[in-house]
Amino acid sequence: MTPYGPVAIYLAVALAAALLFTVLPGLMAQRKPNAVKSEAYECGVEPTSDVSGRFPVRFYLIAMLFVVFDVEAASFYPWAVQMHQLRVFGLLEMIVFVIVLGIGYAYVWKRGGFQWR
Amino acid sequence: MTPSAFAVPIENYIGLSAVIFFLGVTGVIVRRNPLIMLMSIELMFNAANLALITFAKAWVNAAGHIFAFLVITVAAAEAAIGLAIVVVVFRRAAHVDVDEIATLHG
Amino acid sequence: MSPPIPYVNSADLHALLPTTVIAAAGLLALVVDLFMSAGRARRWIAVAIAAAGLVIAGVLTAQQYGHSYPAFGGAYMQGGFAVVLGEIAIFATLVSLGLGIGIGRDDQVAGTTAIVLWSTCGALLMAGAGNLMMIFLGLELLSLGLYCLCAMSVRSAARESGLKYLLLSSMASGFLLYGMALLFGGTGSVALAAISAAPPSPLIALGAGLFLVGIAFKLSLVPFHSWTPDVYEGAPLSVTAYMSVVTKAGALGVLGRFAYAALPPATANAILLPVWTVAAISMIVGNLAALQQIDMKRLLAYSGIGQVGYIVAAFAGQTPLGLRYAIFYLAAYTFMNLGAFAVVALMLKDADGSLGVGAFAGLAYRRPWLAAAMTFFLLSLAGLPPTAGFTGKILILASSVGAGYWWLSVLLIAGTAISVYVYFKIVRAMFVRVDEAHVRAERSTNPLPWISIAVCAAAVFVLGIYPLAPSDIIPLAK
Repeated sequence: MTPYGPVAIYLAVALAAALLFTVLPGLMAQRKPNAVKSEAYECGVEPTSDVSGRFPVRFYLIAMLFVVFDVEAASFYPWAVQMHQLRVFGLLEMIVFVIVLGIGYAYVWKRGGFQWR
Repeated sequence: MTPSAFAVPIENYIGLSAVIFFLGVTGVIVRRNPLIMLMSIELMFNAANLALITFAKAWVNAAGHIFAFLVITVAAAEAAIGLAIVVVVFRRAAHVDVDEIATLHG
Repeated sequence: MSPPIPYVNSADLHALLPTTVIAAAGLLALVVDLFMSAGRARRWIAVAIAAAGLVIAGVLTAQQYGHSYPAFGGAYMQGGFAVVLGEIAIFATLVSLGLGIGIGRDDQVAGTTAIVLWSTCGALLMAGAGNLMMIFLGLELLSLGLYCLCAMSVRSAARESGLKYLLLSSMASGFLLYGMALLFGGTGSVALAAISAAPPSPLIALGAGLFLVGIAFKLSLVPFHSWTPDVYEGAPLSVTAYMSVVTKAGALGVLGRFAYAALPPATANAILLPVWTVAAISMIVGNLAALQQIDMKRLLAYSGIGQVGYIVAAFAGQTPLGLRYAIFYLAAYTFMNLGAFAVVALMLKDADGSLGVGAFAGLAYRRPWLAAAMTFFLLSLAGLPPTAGFTGKILILASSVGAGYWWLSVLLIAGTAISVYVYFKIVRAMFVRVDEAHVRAERSTNPLPWISIAVCAAAVFVLGIYPLAPSDIIPLAK
């Protein structure tokens, strides 16, 4: 296998997976459309334009919080790998890290960052 | 340096990272959409990450790996703050008005 | 079984104690605020916690003077000029928080105070950074906080300036980071000291170039300065005052250590010549542009660009004397600049607003003490005796002539001549008689700026008479 073989396989798998997950639900879902179901509303006017594409601001706020807390979790991995070598010192460091993270979490919580208003 | 450790020559990694870096720089300079500019900046950071990890492997020095970890964390914080500022700038109503609406609602 | 943990012992942790205290004060301010009810007391408590933390950190930093120690395997260099730069950053943080008793609305103050404190931690880390990772960490900690603070204003123009700063500054961080990656590739180590030991290679030259572009941006040297006036004008006054000093303290620490300890003597001059050139351009262009400004914050921004040019010029030739005098001038700049900002703060009606040069008209008759203080700070900024600005400039001139950079000295004098005109425009305005009916009411009830003005004026005077250029500022404890 050439050096680029794994890269080609990786690309092929990624492409296949992406295709699979976008196409498959459309194929597999059961559809029994009728006139009433196809209507936008049971009463009211037909929508004049595509309504998708704009997200409320709250969405960005949640996305932001997710990015931060998600990536902080990545900092646990190096410690987990070296946990036995770092012993008590590593544990204390991680406890401090979690406390700092927890204060941030508590602050966001108390200030209503998690409420979908 | 032990070239044998690399299945693909090291020049290719660095070349790829340089290409990504210049794509990022071009993106920041050419595009005018702040979200795409932020993405281009992430591209610059990740180009540096690729270079760091390649060199870390070439020199057998774990510092490069740790550096890349640090950069990932920092880039996430940067993205979060960037997103927040973009939202604040492009929100139509002034902040005070939104607060007033919330007070009445409660 | 496993060996004891390398690199970490109590001396290492002690080296980072001031930074830890400041970071903890920020956390404490946040936690306490969660249990506070709405009201003005919230402001005072957050700022009081911050001030206590900063004062303790200042004392702890002072104790490190003369005790050089490479902590964490050389990642953080305790002692040396990191002590002086650290004290400058801590002092500037205290003054900035005092200008408006915190930043933002009552319910925002705890958050902004914490951000300011953590940014200061970043500056402290930069000032002592001994390897590339610590430089990047410190720089980003400082910058990320500043992005938030710049966008704090309720005015939409100010928020846009925050966005502009975020995008341009992040791009500069990208250059800096890629430069670091190339330096790491050229040397196989993240330590700054390793760069001077490695054989010269194109990787190192290119990496150093990108690195210096990033630093020049953060220092707002001239081709990379376009963001400075806009951001200074848009940000709340306390934030502007903070940025103008703390970013310079951090970035000059990095540049100083890089120029003095990291570069191999053989190639250092070739790599650094563009930096001196850029500094020379900054002195002239910064002061020329300041001539045309009518907004005080913009004027101080351009004046700061000129001033940082003088400081970087002192590094030219990498003489030990140049380093001492650069740090001395930075200290002098800190006092005179913060003093001027405190005067502006006393004349502003709300912390978010802006102040035109015209607002100074007739100030000498309305508020003679304020006018006298402003005149004194402007004298110092222009580099006239009997002030620290004058002494600092003479020392920088002496060191750059001594190092053989006569062209820098000539340009420094030219820049100073232009700047005298800039600052005297304001002084002249203060002594113009105006019709009292046309004067805007300007009264601040906050006593803290007065204290800042008194301290800064005293420091500018004392440093002008007796230049305390610390001798114990070894760039890198090997």
